[in-house]
Amino acid sequence: MTGFVRRFGTLAALLVLIAAFSLVSPGAFGSAGNLINITQQMTLLAIVAIGATVVMAVGEFDLSTAAIVSFGGILAVTLFKLGVPPPLACLAVLLAAAAFGALSGFVVARFEVLSFIATLSVGTIIGGVTFWLCQGATLFGDIPAGFRDIGRGTLFGLPTLTWWLIATGLAAWLLLDKLEIGRRLYAIGGNREAARLAGVRIVPNTMFAFTVSAVLSALVGILLTARIGSANPTGGGGYLLSAYAAVFLGMTAFREGEANVPGTLVGAAIIAVIGNGLTILGVSTFLQDIITGSIILAAVLVRRVGRQGG
Amino acid sequence: MLLSIRGLEKRFSGARALAGADLEVAAGSVHGLLGENGAGKSTLIKALSGLVRPDAGTIRLDGTPVTIDGVAEAEALGFRFIHQELSLVPHFTAVENAFVGRRYPRRGPFIDRRAMAQAIAEVARDIAPDLPLDVPAARLTTGQKQLVEIIRALTGAPARLVVMDEPTASLSDGEARRLHQAVRRLSARGVAVIFISHRLDEVMALCDRFTVLRNGATAGSGAISEIDRPGLVRLMSGREELAAAPRAVPAQSPAVLTVSALPFGPGEERISFAIRSGEILGLYGLVGAGRSSLMKIVWGARGHDEGEIRLDGRRLRPGSIGDRIAAGGAYVPEDRRHEGLITSRSIAENLAIADLTAVRLQPGLPLTGLGALKRRALAIQAALAVKMGSPFDRPLTLSGGNQQKLLFGRWFGRPIRLLILDEPTRGVDVGAKAEIHALARRFAEAGAAVLMTTSDMDELLALSSRVLVLAGGRITAELDGAALTPARIIDAAFQHASRKDPAA
Repeated sequence: MTGFVRRFGTLAALLVLIAAFSLVSPGAFGSAGNLINITQQMTLLAIVAIGATVVMAVGEFDLSTAAIVSFGGILAVTLFKLGVPPPLACLAVLLAAAAFGALSGFVVARFEVLSFIATLSVGTIIGGVTFWLCQGATLFGDIPAGFRDIGRGTLFGLPTLTWWLIATGLAAWLLLDKLEIGRRLYAIGGNREAARLAGVRIVPNTMFAFTVSAVLSALVGILLTARIGSANPTGGGGYLLSAYAAVFLGMTAFREGEANVPGTLVGAAIIAVIGNGLTILGVSTFLQDIITGSIILAAVLVRRVGRQGG
Repeated sequence: MLLSIRGLEKRFSGARALAGADLEVAAGSVHGLLGENGAGKSTLIKALSGLVRPDAGTIRLDGTPVTIDGVAEAEALGFRFIHQELSLVPHFTAVENAFVGRRYPRRGPFIDRRAMAQAIAEVARDIAPDLPLDVPAARLTTGQKQLVEIIRALTGAPARLVVMDEPTASLSDGEARRLHQAVRRLSARGVAVIFISHRLDEVMALCDRFTVLRNGATAGSGAISEIDRPGLVRLMSGREELAAAPRAVPAQSPAVLTVSALPFGPGEERISFAIRSGEILGLYGLVGAGRSSLMKIVWGARGHDEGEIRLDGRRLRPGSIGDRIAAGGAYVPEDRRHEGLITSRSIAENLAIADLTAVRLQPGLPLTGLGALKRRALAIQAALAVKMGSPFDRPLTLSGGNQQKLLFGRWFGRPIRLLILDEPTRGVDVGAKAEIHALARRFAEAGAAVLMTTSDMDELLALSSRVLVLAGGRITAELDGAALTPARIIDAAFQHASRKDPAA
């Protein structure tokens, strides 16, 4: 029984939240259209959080994610201005992000630098590059309409962004839970020295995890730009803390204390549901942040207290 | 009687951990507490430290019944605990560590460092006169850290009973002797010591009384002078001690592992040795002689600049664990918790992590199959007689001996040419020890070269076909056949110790 609560308590909390908001506001919140809309609203946050999940699987943090989101958007629009075709521009953005991620991973794994410090430094460098590219300005115009369609509209009846969520979520779940490399990443995160002595190669695997995180963050930068039609050098600022909040909420779900993709998706959904529901109820955004933060704190505390009691 | 425990009982969700344990400890005595893993020693100790509340039974201190509800109450009664896993702050000195969690002497609002140093120097003079007090704990040897723990136990309110849980498990003989001296000085001060150890010789030499637990109950107790070693083993296990199998010296079989001109030790002297197929080479030396470091270089966990290591004639690149595994190498590390098990992952994954291709869903795809994971785990469970529930439980749910078997099982299913064992049976009970020894012999008989190091002299003599003794960065003796005696080994181990021993 307690095992069941432990595994599915966080999922239950999500369902309770949805039920509560639906009761208070059946027409606006509880409608099928709004619920689908929530999946679209949570997409960008969830993709950054999935990247963070992969890095947390190897037991590290990536504080450069927000900087890479901003960088991705700015670099994409800069390339558009130079006349680079969108598919090529997007590929270049993802490759540039991959290089930054590989750099962070290499520094962390090879020189055993704390990932906090390494990614804070790399993130600061990326922030500088971003501001240099756009000279500190928000970039409008020169954004092809075809490119914008990857972040707006619908496809087969679901919002396009929701499809991105489904695709990245599925891919990351396969990666961490089904592919061999996932076992290696979790082994490194569980006990780095034991994994190394059992033959798991620390440097390439850690570099891979940081690369995945960087590429997903850059993808979010691209999708964000496509969605809003402009790129801002601080556009990704809000994603870092909420992404890790989603991962930590997710660590309380399904598997005891381990970052996992289904859990992260539940965590991101909780954050999105609270945001959406409170907006519909007309609660100010400042109060929303206070409430969201308190709920995350409460969720984590309830589990800790529960564990001490059991 | 200082401490008198009668009929202590404790159940954990149905399983009986204690079933009527008795223990009597007099002031100033060194009391050996013995028993196989799972016999109830740790639960008994936890009851004393307030971490576990007994279901029935009484604990009396000076004849007065006491209830111990928490760690603070145990402290107030004068009980001190030194756990196997040391809990020192690495960058604090002995003096600073001794005061962690204690009341600091003050001058005005400030900590009085001079008074701290004086207080500790006084205790240290009595207990461990040659312990450096101004060196960060990280730079001390394991044995010296134990001494700091003892000093810490004596700091603050007066201690009446010190419980030591396998303090010498990772110490060499020289360091253990130093710790024994400290224990004797403790008892001379009138402090009672409960000494838990799997080393029977040590218990026979150090303790004056003993209590043996078996299946949660006291199986016997009395004066050490009235019992012998086989008697203790009988009490613990209910069976005779497993005699060491005669060392089968392998015939002139080919060398499997050759180590040549490897720079080693503080003087960068070169060491060379070879292990033949079927041979178990034991490596012996004091702590600090560099045994573990040599094992790690051979395994590729550490690099080396010069010299050469070959396995079946293939040169192994320095620092490449992958090369060793590809050539048929296997490694069982010294420290299960920190170097062996990935405690957050299942038993099945721990068994598969060294070769994930063995648990693929389809041979050509890098996908791990749950069915394949389970089949492999169950096959290893059957082959090694591992006592476990589900293969998807976490490894720490198993006893020490069974955890250790997992580290062997990890390498099953591939031909093993080189097996490296670092302290293969540390913290493992008598029964599992014999099984693990049989396992090591089985690998050797199948043609592997086995390189082993252990601080346990009985184990060294029981397993090794040949022994190399390391001291001061050199091989000071190579012993086999009739020359392989404890006296010769100890003599060679101390050849450089007088000059190089860091504690001196």
